[in-house]
Amino acid sequence: MGLVALTFLPLAAAVVIALLPGRNAALLRAVAFFATTLVAGMGAGLFVDFEGGVPGLQSVYESAWFTLPGADVPVHFRLGVDGISILMVVLTAILMPLVVLSSYGHVKERVKEFLFWLLVMETGMLGVFLALDLVLFYFFWEVSLVPLYFLVGIWGSDRRLYATVKFFLYTVAGSLVMLVGVIELIYSQGTSDVGALLANTSELPAWIFASFALAFAIKVPVIPFHTWLADAHTEAPTSGSVLLAGVLLKMGTYGLLRFGIQMFPHAAVDAAPLFLALGAIGIVYGALLAMAQTDLKRLIACSSVSHLGFVVLGMFALTQAGLRGGVLQMVNHGISTGLLFLLVGMVYERTHTRELDRFGGLAATMPLFALFFVITVLSSVGLPGLNGFVGEYMILLGTFEASPLWSVVGVTGVIFGAIYLLRATRKVLFGPVVHESNRRLADLNGREIALMAPLVLLAVWIGVRPNTFIGKTAGTLDALQRRIEDVRGAGDSAAAPSPIVEEEQG
Amino acid sequence: MTTQDLAATFDRLLGPESAVATAPMLALGVGVLAFLIVDLFRTLGRLRPLVFLASVGTSFALELRILFADEVPGVVLDGSLHADHTTAIWGLLFLAGTLLAWIYSAGYYRHQDKPFKAEHDALMLTAPVGMMLMVGAGDLIVFFVGLEVLSIPLYALAAFRRARTDSVEAGLKYFVLGTFAAGFFLYGAALLYAATGHVSIDALAAADLSSPMALAGAAFVAASVFFKVSVFPFHLWVPDVYQGSPTPVTALMATGTKAAAFGFLIHAAGILPASAAGTVAAIALVTMAAGNLGALAQEDLKRMLAYSGVAHAGTLLLVVAGALALEERTAALNAALVYMAAYVFTATGAFGLVALLEADGDRFTKLESLRGLARTRPGTAAALALFMLSLGGIPATGGFLGKWFVFSVLVDADMVGVAVIGVLFSVVALGYYLRVIVAMYMQPPVEGKAPPTTVRPLTAGVATLACATMVLLLGVLPGWYLGWLG
Repeated sequence: MGLVALTFLPLAAAVVIALLPGRNAALLRAVAFFATTLVAGMGAGLFVDFEGGVPGLQSVYESAWFTLPGADVPVHFRLGVDGISILMVVLTAILMPLVVLSSYGHVKERVKEFLFWLLVMETGMLGVFLALDLVLFYFFWEVSLVPLYFLVGIWGSDRRLYATVKFFLYTVAGSLVMLVGVIELIYSQGTSDVGALLANTSELPAWIFASFALAFAIKVPVIPFHTWLADAHTEAPTSGSVLLAGVLLKMGTYGLLRFGIQMFPHAAVDAAPLFLALGAIGIVYGALLAMAQTDLKRLIACSSVSHLGFVVLGMFALTQAGLRGGVLQMVNHGISTGLLFLLVGMVYERTHTRELDRFGGLAATMPLFALFFVITVLSSVGLPGLNGFVGEYMILLGTFEASPLWSVVGVTGVIFGAIYLLRATRKVLFGPVVHESNRRLADLNGREIALMAPLVLLAVWIGVRPNTFIGKTAGTLDALQRRIEDVRGAGDSAAAPSPIVEEEQG
Repeated sequence: MTTQDLAATFDRLLGPESAVATAPMLALGVGVLAFLIVDLFRTLGRLRPLVFLASVGTSFALELRILFADEVPGVVLDGSLHADHTTAIWGLLFLAGTLLAWIYSAGYYRHQDKPFKAEHDALMLTAPVGMMLMVGAGDLIVFFVGLEVLSIPLYALAAFRRARTDSVEAGLKYFVLGTFAAGFFLYGAALLYAATGHVSIDALAAADLSSPMALAGAAFVAASVFFKVSVFPFHLWVPDVYQGSPTPVTALMATGTKAAAFGFLIHAAGILPASAAGTVAAIALVTMAAGNLGALAQEDLKRMLAYSGVAHAGTLLLVVAGALALEERTAALNAALVYMAAYVFTATGAFGLVALLEADGDRFTKLESLRGLARTRPGTAAALALFMLSLGGIPATGGFLGKWFVFSVLVDADMVGVAVIGVLFSVVALGYYLRVIVAMYMQPPVEGKAPPTTVRPLTAGVATLACATMVLLLGVLPGWYLGWLG
């Protein structure tokens, strides 16, 4: 029941907000903040109670939903967590109240609608991570598109309509191809229970994996499906960008891991070289894109492509370190890129520009902003002691075991990352104040500090004590890795039967 | 023939099963007759809504009786009609669609059309009788009677806004082309009879239809039905007729006619050879292309919905292709029942809202004048957005459930390639459905074109709420409806 309450509390709050009068923005914001904080508390409680060393699903809730006639497949309303989803759930739950807080600064019109969609979105995202029925997963997966479509389309900046329609159509195209795969999988296996499908040891058709992987690759986005991301990120309001970077893209990487690697280990092993290549190319290509940007927000958007390349690289290394690093890096990216978007939003609210050349010398006028900005950038480039380092190090280590070549390519991405982010830091914070108007900027206020502090704290925590988080994933990921070893072993022995075995048989 | 023989024949024809099977149609027929009487007396005019509701309500109850009965009447009247759970669900959908269209028609017509209110309602009440006959038909002759009972009222209703040339044009166009299609049907049925000696659908499905004459007959019959459901290349009449007709009538045309004709198509799929599956799938995909690409180019909501109706007909035709490939029709029938249930409520709601917008003047159905609707009429905008998402097949709406079932049939029939092309057309479709939402929610109103605040009839609000509730119910908690299916 706890998971049901966790998932649907935001939706209930959204309904409450829809019924309240729209004039009283303070009350609406209070309701939204209260509801999301409550969910964050529940998420934290879930995280603490979760037993990391144990593989398999925990806190499963199940009730009958409907039966597909003809095939007689019962579809259940089934929620639960394992070592992969627990981190995503807690990340979503913790980010949401901060997003609501951040919206005080930049959403002044149609507050009621904004908070409504924000809360609907939270239910959609939590549903994606918690759903343990394939139909339910697909349901949440597509439903979660709609709120972001409205968030970007109504509260975005100048080119918002282009960006939001592009985002919607791009992702829905992938999802619909996945729908065909979902249907085939359910009807051929006779069940839509994710637990049962994961436990299935027979080899599933590779085209179903491909249809799933396409949808997730668009969502992540993996090169060459990344073009929607830069537009959506740049045009979205700050809250939308934070959610997009923090959680929505993680739906793609989560999907690749859960419904790609975990559900189709055979196909994933076969496809791993392709994804390693795409991941590593994404790291470098995203970094090069970021270096060329003059718009600070677009720069961070492109850096997302690069950082998510790391996640894909680590996951498809299919080694212990790679998998763990990949999952941890999902959280890290949510924290550091979320923070970066918050910071850009805050400086945009003051200067109404995102052009790198319009800044300069902000460290002198906004010292607190500068402090947060530097910490965030260092976390993003992977300074030891902060979260980014742990994730990237594990990923590169794990990848090196699988493929030294792509690991080396990935390392160059770390260097490029340091170049474009530190260059951006210099242009924004240091040097002389170029524009007179920048001398009178107000520094961060209490609300802004309060909403960023928890994320900075998390960044340091993961940097210093990563085992708090990695430990929770260990049981599930180790089981997954053993499974992959089995598949690899079976594949090898089938391809080249060892003489010893033949002798024994003889 | 002795008296006993005659009595036995009557017993066989008019036994209790026949009575149960035909009762829903008879209830509507009684309602139509009551209209003629009520209309004679000026003082009884107020009873018209009551007659309509009583008649539809009785028919609804009688369909429910068949649906929940342990023993369905099955095949009655010497094999010419059948009544089972499937026809009962179809009947309920027709009645719901007719009732909603009728509710939206209240307050829709301008002053000059009012004198014919009774005729309007009587014609609307006749149409579902034809639909029920079409899905219940056991032979081609009964189907043809049903087709005409449905079509003739719609020809008249299409031209009901007499003062407007586009309405008269719509009526005439629909009538001329519809009669032509009816001629095709009769010609095809005659060829089938000449080739096989049967008009019964089951007998035709079992007969050898490989002779050129039989194939030509089947093709003519199929072409005629394709015209009714607006499948490529017989869809060209749709935009003009849908746009010119009074909008509540368009709603009935788009949902009822399509549902009834597809009900028949799937029932009679056996007349076409299994090898036709590929051809039918190709026609379906071309129809989807024609509908979706046509809709993308539209600037008027009503016309866009007309093209979207063509695209939906293409999607449903995929189900027919699946039924042919599988040589089994239960799955296809279920898919059609789910898809059409969602479509009846979604499209009727969408056309109903168009009818509401039209009350302010024709230009208010242009996409451009929808701008800013979310602020001026939040309820209308929210409902229209919901219907657009349902037409686009986004989860939490009935449209998604329908899409799921349609593509399940295709996957089951090993037509994965067709399914993938089909789903990609849904992406194109979302392109124009989203334009409506963009205009309503994301664009500011055009300067100086703020919509006038005409008073809306309460009835339209009730109908919209009913449609929206059903769309969400089918999308989120479909268990009860799926339980009705076989």
